[in-house]
Amino acid sequence: MKLISVLDHLAATPTAPEPTPRRALLTKLGRAAAAALPLGLGTAQATTAGTLDSSFDAALQLLQLERLQVALYTQALAAAGLITTAQRPDFERMLAHQTQHAALLQQALQNAGAIVPTVPTFDFSGRHGQSSNPVLFPNVFTSFDDFLALAQQIEDLGVRLYTAHAFNLVYDAVLTRSVLRILPVESQHASHVRSLRRSRGAVVQNWPSEEDAVITRPAAAQVLTTAATGGEETTIQYQSAGVSIPFSTFLTISKGAAIHDPALAESFDEAANTATAQAAMDLFV
Amino acid sequence: MPDTLRPTDSESPRPAQSLHTPIKRRSFFMYAGATAGVTALALAGCSKESETTAPSINVSLGFGDASVLNYAYALEQLEAAFYAKAVAATTTVLSTAEKAVLTNVATHEAIHRDFLQAAINRDFPGQLLQTLTFKFDDATFTDRTRLLTAAKTFEDLGVAAYNGAGKLFKVPAYVSIAGQIVSVEARHAAYVRDLLTSGSFAAIDQVDATTGLDKQMAPADVIKIVNTYLDATVVQLDVSTIGQ
Repeated sequence: MKLISVLDHLAATPTAPEPTPRRALLTKLGRAAAAALPLGLGTAQATTAGTLDSSFDAALQLLQLERLQVALYTQALAAAGLITTAQRPDFERMLAHQTQHAALLQQALQNAGAIVPTVPTFDFSGRHGQSSNPVLFPNVFTSFDDFLALAQQIEDLGVRLYTAHAFNLVYDAVLTRSVLRILPVESQHASHVRSLRRSRGAVVQNWPSEEDAVITRPAAAQVLTTAATGGEETTIQYQSAGVSIPFSTFLTISKGAAIHDPALAESFDEAANTATAQAAMDLFV
Repeated sequence: MPDTLRPTDSESPRPAQSLHTPIKRRSFFMYAGATAGVTALALAGCSKESETTAPSINVSLGFGDASVLNYAYALEQLEAAFYAKAVAATTTVLSTAEKAVLTNVATHEAIHRDFLQAAINRDFPGQLLQTLTFKFDDATFTDRTRLLTAAKTFEDLGVAAYNGAGKLFKVPAYVSIAGQIVSVEARHAAYVRDLLTSGSFAAIDQVDATTGLDKQMAPADVIKIVNTYLDATVVQLDVSTIGQ
């Protein structure tokens, strides 16, 4: 559960919403943009910058995510024989959404005076464009099952990153409203990809569940799994830092026996840790 | 650690102890006093009109963040009631696998309902919306298309309601929690839509074709629909002060 750290982060910001939220974001964006511009959309820079929870970082990281998703579906749809004719419309629809989301975020950054970094070259094998590097994600564009497994993790990551940043952008009313309406689109994509996998025999539910079969990854790629579903098993939700909503005790006793119901954790998607999410996205550039 | 066991009884997600905080007398009159007075007059039958015209009992969702949480609580009550009835139906209009998924969905909705109840009782004691009793057409539960269409209606309504309500919260933490819930609702919606019509997840009636943004609805429009599932002679929700 990321709420505690997010709330700690909030404590460092002004206690009352600033009178002109839009201008406030612009100021923050401008300042952050000036610092970040020379770095561009590089891989390691974002993590060395420390916090990823400013408005600028949030908008930029979400843009990176959407670009990653656009690239995944663009390359998949271009791969001969990967996606059947029947399922092409599904991925074309998801690609259209991701393209629209990327454009929205890019426009928001440009409106705030930031120079948007160029789109990097994505390598979904995990070799970072170097053939001498080990393949972390084999057969992504030759095996539909391997492709779907990666798509599921990247969509789940998207859901969780939007959940995290909806909070970080909360003082920008316009951007928050958009981001809150993108989040459920990501969730619908993730749910559909999970349905497709289940129809092909995978043990997976439409939501992250401890009953899902683990997607096995090499150690160097494990951060993607952590970013996509790590922490989903939590059953505690917080109203504010350290103050949990006291319902975590329910369901514990039924007919005199202690019960652990997976549904309790399934009922809430969790926010991704933004640094972990960045490390996961950096696997592909 | 307790045993891992997914309860099979869809009604099982209930608090071990009642989470309901007794309504403080003053709060009760503050929020319900006006309508309670109307009820008393109607029951007394002091006017002839009241005998022929059923009184509409308006229940306010309240003010501020409590009203937004009550709004979500009303929707989760509706969804939980619907799915509890859907999975309890003995006629098999669903496959075993589909029923298993919808049973999980029913549990999620009941957990959302109980979670919001706990949240409101904790943060806004005395302001919890009452438990609602919904009426569903019995034929809905014996016909596959009708059942899935109703499920789609409720999921889409819930997602659109959360999408339109997030901006009403004053405390950012509630925005996060609403986001964590709407995300799961949207996962339900995509599943139910695909079940009804394969590949209809995130279609243009739910996601705007131009912007790629999910549909949102204003609370007044949502509650108008919710009220049609309530007995108009007993209770009608009033959302006019939401977020104020």
